Amino acid sequence: MKITGIKHVSGFDVARPVSIGMMLGIMLPLVLLPLLSIFVYGFGKGPGAFVSSLVAPEAVFALKLSMATSFWATVFNVVFGLFAAYVLSRYDFWGRNAVIVTISLPTAIPTAVAGFALLLLWGRYGMIGKYLSERQQIMFTPYAIILANIFVTFPLAFGVIKPVFDTMSRSLEEASATIGATRWQTFWHVTLPSLRGAIVSGALLTFARAVGEFGSTILVSGNLAGRTQTAPLYIFAKFNEGQIEAANAIAIVLALLSFVIFSVLFFARDWLEFAQEA
Amino acid sequence: MKAQMAIAPDRDPHVSWPPDRSSGVAASVRGISKRFKKSRVLEDISFDVAEGESLVLLGASGSGKTTILRIIAGLEQPDSGRVILHGKDVTDLPARERGVGVIFQAYALFPRMTVEKNIAYGLRIRHRPRKEKRETVDRLIKLVQLEQHRKKYPWQLSGGQQQRVAIARTLAYKPQVLLFDEPFGALDAQTRVHLRREIRALLRQVRVPSIFITHDQEEALELGDRIAVLNDGHLEQVGTPDEVYNHPATEYVATFLGAANLLLGVAARGAVEIGTARLPAEKETRRFRDGQSVKLVFRPEDVRISQDANLPEGCRRLTNGVIEEVNFVGAYERLTVRLDLTHRKGDTDALYQVTINTPEKMTGVPIIVTRPKPEANALRFKIGDRVAIGLTSFSVLPNYTLARQR
Repeated sequence: MKITGIKHVSGFDVARPVSIGMMLGIMLPLVLLPLLSIFVYGFGKGPGAFVSSLVAPEAVFALKLSMATSFWATVFNVVFGLFAAYVLSRYDFWGRNAVIVTISLPTAIPTAVAGFALLLLWGRYGMIGKYLSERQQIMFTPYAIILANIFVTFPLAFGVIKPVFDTMSRSLEEASATIGATRWQTFWHVTLPSLRGAIVSGALLTFARAVGEFGSTILVSGNLAGRTQTAPLYIFAKFNEGQIEAANAIAIVLALLSFVIFSVLFFARDWLEFAQEA
Repeated sequence: MKAQMAIAPDRDPHVSWPPDRSSGVAASVRGISKRFKKSRVLEDISFDVAEGESLVLLGASGSGKTTILRIIAGLEQPDSGRVILHGKDVTDLPARERGVGVIFQAYALFPRMTVEKNIAYGLRIRHRPRKEKRETVDRLIKLVQLEQHRKKYPWQLSGGQQQRVAIARTLAYKPQVLLFDEPFGALDAQTRVHLRREIRALLRQVRVPSIFITHDQEEALELGDRIAVLNDGHLEQVGTPDEVYNHPATEYVATFLGAANLLLGVAARGAVEIGTARLPAEKETRRFRDGQSVKLVFRPEDVRISQDANLPEGCRRLTNGVIEEVNFVGAYERLTVRLDLTHRKGDTDALYQVTINTPEKMTGVPIIVTRPKPEANALRFKIGDRVAIGLTSFSVLPNYTLARQR
């Protein structure tokens, strides 16, 4: 769709540059300048300083840990989200709406509360944790970070996949059944390909959110450098220690990563859903 | 019955398809009834489809025709009754084990698969060898004339092309019966007529018994070897296009298929008496007792009019009338004629009912008459002319209107 301005009189439209300028003027100090500042600061002392902060063993470990924990949380939540969306849109049962609301609940819960709740359940004196032996303890290990990530990103993939399920024409699945396919074949060959776009978007959203998770992670991980310190925790720790360059290098990496993910989400949507128009 | 699903590539599929059976009945529906919540959707429906035959289920929307189709396909369970395909009771089998081909209203092509992948789907899920898949796809894609489009996706095809893919996709696994759900509903009028002929020709080639669903009477007359007229969940009549059109069994059939004039009368001494007029109908009134209330049903094109009381041979005189309206409607002329009919003493009901393309009913004396163009040109009438009126063909039906208002 082509956007054309509202012209009240012929000639130069004053409202156009003024309103665009105002919008950018508001965004500049609130969003653009803070982002810009990490890049300005990061490269201020030359690329050498940046690279050396980046390859510091603790920094590399924090980044790797963030990627790994976010990856597994994403895998779990996409698979579970797909399954839950299938069940909740294909079967009607008593309490279905209550389940839908519950699945979406973690969005509204402060992340610190989520971390605290996990501690109460899994911690050494928690409801489940007290039955685990010393060696089986989950809290303050990378598994705790995955659990926290799963909790806070729980509804994201589900939320993207469910509407696609709901609007998907039943006749595709019915056609597949009359042709002779089993339920599993229908799901694999017909349903799943139609969900490709939703699955990729859901996964990217979940991953982006998990990589940046701070509030719940700091509570359940113990923030042990080189053991359970994720990238956002590393930024926080280094900043507290006064090592601004070290914190800043990781900040740049995280900012770039989210920038890439959101660009993919934004521009690849059409490609991912190209056949939906038919 | 297993042979149904097995693919025999060595035989010419267009000749031996489906396997000939001595019984001659390909599909049979026995006493199907179905309710949704409180409303009755189908009421004791029974009909057969012969080998190689095409049957059209014709009915208004909400008459239950789609439900019948879904029950045959196994997408819906009947409350009672059986579905029998080639002698085997399939009522309790799931859709995928019935070997039925459904062409859905919006075709339901798989959007992420190309034309050839769509067509090969039935063989793919049956794990048929690659060579067989390729040969089947080649043959069918040629049959439906989509050779240049084999690598395209459904959204790149026109409606008619999509429909052909949908047909080829079902033919690939040799269905026992093809079910078409309002196959032309989504297309414009011109494409519709064109595709109808194409499908008819295609079905003649592959000889798969077919059931069509439609609400379009013209479509039904053209596509069906036989037509089953459905009204409000029950079958009104099953018969050839000629039977249902020229000898409608019920008022609903008469008015749903084309236009019909309806007059209320009484059967009496080998004739139908309408007020003071008397139409000789020895054969047609035989099944009624004297004095029984009947309906005289005749089509506008079966009316003959003449200014000099000399009606053509084989035409039975009804009464006289006055031309009230003359319209040229393209291919033919349409006249409204007001009949000279008067009540007999003691008659209380309205005498006349004219129905033009249901459901609007107008009560009154006028009837509709149509004449082909040459006849209209040869003998012109003007408003106010007095004419004699005769009928070449008509049906006499019992008058149930008092018992059940439809």
